[in-house]
Amino acid sequence: MTFDWSVVWQHREALAVGTGTTILLTVVTMLIAVPCGIVVAVLRLYAWTPVRAVATAYVELFRNLPLILVVYWAFYVLPILTGLGMPPLATGLAALALNVTAYNAETFRAGINSIRRGQVEAAMALGMSRVQALRRVVVPQATRRILPVLASTWVSLFKDTSLVSVIAVTELAYVAMQIRAQSYRVLEMLTAMAAIYWLLGYPQAKLVDWIQRRFAVTE
Amino acid sequence: MNQLSPDPKREMGAGATIVRYHGVVKRYGTFEALSGVDLDVHAGEVVCLIGPSGSGKSTLLRCTNGLESIEGGEIEFEGAVLPKDERTLRAVRQRMGMVFQSFELFPHLTAQENVSEGPRTVLRMNVGDANRRASAMLAKVGLADKAANYPSALSGGQQQRVAIARALAMEPDVMLFDEPTSALDPETIGEVLNVMKALADEGMTMVVVTHEMSFARRVGDWVAVFDAGRIVEQGPPEQIFDAPTTDRTRDFLSHLGWTG
Repeated sequence: MTFDWSVVWQHREALAVGTGTTILLTVVTMLIAVPCGIVVAVLRLYAWTPVRAVATAYVELFRNLPLILVVYWAFYVLPILTGLGMPPLATGLAALALNVTAYNAETFRAGINSIRRGQVEAAMALGMSRVQALRRVVVPQATRRILPVLASTWVSLFKDTSLVSVIAVTELAYVAMQIRAQSYRVLEMLTAMAAIYWLLGYPQAKLVDWIQRRFAVTE
Repeated sequence: MNQLSPDPKREMGAGATIVRYHGVVKRYGTFEALSGVDLDVHAGEVVCLIGPSGSGKSTLLRCTNGLESIEGGEIEFEGAVLPKDERTLRAVRQRMGMVFQSFELFPHLTAQENVSEGPRTVLRMNVGDANRRASAMLAKVGLADKAANYPSALSGGQQQRVAIARALAMEPDVMLFDEPTSALDPETIGEVLNVMKALADEGMTMVVVTHEMSFARRVGDWVAVFDAGRIVEQGPPEQIFDAPTTDRTRDFLSHLGWTG
């Protein structure tokens, strides 16, 4: 068997664009899923009971469905529900955001629960409203405490973006698979893909380790 | 408002009634934590609540600013019954400073930020004014040099002094202290008590739940002895510590080894 690595170099531009899309998907998903996760967590903890039930149902549904199923579901069902034809990138983004928001909501809920009751009481004794106490005292502390978990979610998300390739979002995995299909250079393309994911993922994992040390909670 | 205490022992220096507890009842399920408590706190007074653990003194303090609701009786603050709705209650809480046994400083903020947080978020003060006030309050408790420190870098006594500064920054009409020295190392208790004493000397109205009998004796204007959810005796410290009129007071003080 002979290897022809030139195929990787030949398609470097497509691979670069795919990599860019992968990074874009990760960043935008997190930008949506962090604030939405906070909102869902707060609703689950403090909202009027029916709203709380809806938030809980959402989290338990999306946390326990395989992401690839959500991706397909978003592709086929979302256009019917919304009546809008969405481009694959937006569909993939929606699926990822739905999934990661559910995870982040659970993470934030655990973080908020870990803050002592006395902290809220101290804030309320100053005359703050419950919302102010949450915003100024509880959420900032909870965020620090769960930063390592969010960072791990980030690294998982970076790799999981590859699942949206099944609905033809032109991210790294999709691009690599396309080149593979056209060039029949299976091993070369899979290796190149692995190398790119690893080279980008490893520093992120190291960054997570650093964040875990840097933001260790001291009280 | 402006009612003087009917208690003749209390005429000296007793100003307007700031807080009035009238038949206060607090229940946790079937357990009655407070069974009809009557007590007046006048402007400029230091009222010390003493008694065994679980006798209801901290509960009464936590009912004062509505951190706990009451099931019976009334609490009046500056002549008005303590409101039940959150919005009005917030306005009342702004005028009551509270200091907790476990400090409850905000660990993600520096000492300075802890103190300026109330003025900024609640009083909507601009950053410059809030910072100036915070600096002044930290100086007042002797911690001007610790402004940039996070709570984790402060000793227990220093943390509690920052907590006092944080409460003072709201310029409250009354300060509520919930066992402020109980979580402290013996060597740092003194610095906190000194700050409290200075505050009392300035004329701050204070309600202090404490196990520091010498503080109650020295600084208190009025002492209420709690037992099983009731005040069993109240009076000036000379009466409580030197000539207690009830067996419960005598028992409690002798358990502490108080010799007068």
